[in-house]
Amino acid sequence: MILVAGAALTHFNRRKDGSSFRDWVATAFEDAIAMACLERRDIDTLIVASESDFFTLQLNPASIIADDLGLVGAATMRVEGGGASGQLAVHAAVQAILTGTSRHAVVIGVDPSASQLPGQTVKTLYGFSFDAWTDGMTGATSTTLYALSVQGFMARTRANDLDLAEVTIQNRLNACDNPGAHLRLRNTVDDIEASPLISSPYRRLHCSPLSDGAAALVLSHPDAVPAARSKASRITGIGAASDRVHLGARAAPDRFEGKTLAMSRACAMASISPTDIGLAELYDAYAGAQLQGLEALGLCRNVIAELRDGRFRPDGSLPVNLSGGLMGQGAPVGATGVGQTATCALLLEGRYHPALQPANPPKYALADSHGGIATTNAVTILTAGVVR
Amino acid sequence: MIDFSLTLDYQLSPGWLAPWVNGILQGKTVARCCARCGQVSFAPQRICDCGETNGTWQTLSGAATILNVTEGVDGCFGMVCFDGADTRCIARLSGFDRPSERGQIIRPEGNLPTLILIPLQSEK
Repeated sequence: MILVAGAALTHFNRRKDGSSFRDWVATAFEDAIAMACLERRDIDTLIVASESDFFTLQLNPASIIADDLGLVGAATMRVEGGGASGQLAVHAAVQAILTGTSRHAVVIGVDPSASQLPGQTVKTLYGFSFDAWTDGMTGATSTTLYALSVQGFMARTRANDLDLAEVTIQNRLNACDNPGAHLRLRNTVDDIEASPLISSPYRRLHCSPLSDGAAALVLSHPDAVPAARSKASRITGIGAASDRVHLGARAAPDRFEGKTLAMSRACAMASISPTDIGLAELYDAYAGAQLQGLEALGLCRNVIAELRDGRFRPDGSLPVNLSGGLMGQGAPVGATGVGQTATCALLLEGRYHPALQPANPPKYALADSHGGIATTNAVTILTAGVVR
Repeated sequence: MIDFSLTLDYQLSPGWLAPWVNGILQGKTVARCCARCGQVSFAPQRICDCGETNGTWQTLSGAATILNVTEGVDGCFGMVCFDGADTRCIARLSGFDRPSERGQIIRPEGNLPTLILIPLQSEK
């Protein structure tokens, strides 16, 4: 097991204050290392998640971040796996510690997805998150592919537009209690229906926003963690798996089967089953993707019935995306997976935003990310350091 | 703020995908046929689901069944299956004034290998 000694997120939003991604990284790092009760000199490894050089206009971002953070001398690398970049960076740090090459590893996730490029340019770039040579050449966007996938899911599960609205409304409602969230909105069904149709059935409000922001983790070997942090949340399981890049080449384009495989690997490592998970931060790039994810991860028996019963609400038996998720908290791509894991760690420790903090945190939490359309999948299981 | 503009002009070599790319540019559906199990993939799979690496290229009729459609400000696209293919693919749909289950490939304008379907004129 690996201890989450430090965890921090900046606000996720569209920056208009003249700050740069280098500032956000520094802020997240300083908060995380302070929580970890460590000094810079203790850090031997820096792993940076950033989806695209097009966003940062910086090849080898780990080099400038190491310099900015005063970590020169540490081993550095950048991890990229589309939307899964952040979660994969967490995995890389865990593996570095498990193999004995690191004692204290810092994971930084960052992307300026909102303020540095026009939205239409980012949208075009996201279209190349799939197979740029085939699907990408048709002009199909990310929303196009998710829409075609969720249509099959909705037909099979008899989900309807109100179910997509339920996810949208709940995630944004959760975000209202997260002071760092991008879209703190009290959406209504009418708001959603009035928003532009992007790619049926998805309307603009069903989609996660483009955001700026950073997140940081300090992961430590249990023998090296400061005494003050000996009861920190633990990472006890990691799992990753890929699926066919072409939706049309999959046996079931409406199912996220690579996510199922990733989850089975993480559960085997943690020696638990999916039904042991007590809260989850899921990759809700779109409202329906959250439902497809819940099903694929094995967190429920009948996702639509349980959604309608309120199981995934903050007061339900399996709170999902208390942070607001990508739809509410926001989506600076590289920071999302790191932020999800940080959020889970803080929730398990009882240190999250008071209005969202469960009075009795569960024993296990799940952070789930993917790149492409659940093509590159990565999940992380966290266990509470203190079981209440 | 620093205003910075970057223009990138790529020259992309299609490599093993060349038969597929050249086919699309000519309005033809050139698919990959597995040498072992005979699965026909379009878009082509370099390695078949059965694990076979060898295969041949074969030209399909160009007619396709449209399985589901999405439309909105991002355009109109469908998950389609070309006659003779065992896998599905994503295509841009053009000129479909009313729902239709059948379409046919057309040659794209410009020099990008864009897979475009128009309504099938008549079944042969």
